[in-house]
Amino acid sequence: MWVYEKKLEYPINIKQTNPALAKIIISQYGGPDGELGASLRYLSQRYSVPYPEIKAILTDIGTEELAHLEMVGTIVYQLTRNLSMDEIKAAGFQDYFVDHTTAVYPTAASGMPYSASTMQVKGDLLTDLHEDLAAEQKARTTYDNILRFCDDPDVIDPIRFLRAREIVHYQRFGEGLRIVTDKLDSKNFYAFNPEFDKCHLKNKKNK
Amino acid sequence: MTERERMLKNLSSYDFAIIELHIYLDTHPDDLSAANAMKEYEAKSRILRSEYEEKFGPLSTKNVSGNRWAWISNPWPWNRQEE
Repeated sequence: MWVYEKKLEYPINIKQTNPALAKIIISQYGGPDGELGASLRYLSQRYSVPYPEIKAILTDIGTEELAHLEMVGTIVYQLTRNLSMDEIKAAGFQDYFVDHTTAVYPTAASGMPYSASTMQVKGDLLTDLHEDLAAEQKARTTYDNILRFCDDPDVIDPIRFLRAREIVHYQRFGEGLRIVTDKLDSKNFYAFNPEFDKCHLKNKKNK
Repeated sequence: MTERERMLKNLSSYDFAIIELHIYLDTHPDDLSAANAMKEYEAKSRILRSEYEEKFGPLSTKNVSGNRWAWISNPWPWNRQEE
């Protein structure tokens, strides 16, 4: 289960609204490489994993992604507070506003609503860990692209924090991949599914 | 920065160190110095958290008892100070 904490993982205090920027940043809320997809991916992959270290990494990183989802939602919310109709029109925010007013909806910047079809839970540990490594880098690239549009230090600071976390998670998943391959027969790393096939294990006599 | 914001910022920095070390220890369970650093941050966080909760209300659903209004009250994490 989870316990809610009534605080953000990293403080956010945005003084100047900017609906045009919110429309870009919302992609990390519900877009193809966003925090919702990240948390669902890891928290769904973990059930069928055979190794306890990987269950721990997927659970703990998946949980931190939920804290990041809340941070991105907070950034979008604070960038769209108390908007006038003129500000909405000037920022080109009408197409979002008409469906969601100024609420936070899980969507990509392109307007595509959140879809689980943007991520995979394959039930093959090596496949899933490679997906997770790619996912962290895709999110890092997205944060880099978001930073290209930011000139407000109140926004840049938390986005840089989120970007840095992608790199740390990439490192941890890389270590997870090494932990898994250390348990497998090096002749057969990528030929079998270590969650389903039993023929991949190192010869027990050699252990 | 108000006193509430300052205390919350310090607490968040301790709690972030705990998250970071906790995830690191998932793949380095034998790293004693990381485990000790985590214990230090946990102790610092515990003290500051109880000071904060005493002044500004519960941070976790585990500590709400007898303080129902403080749990419900603003600011919620996404609110700016003046809301």
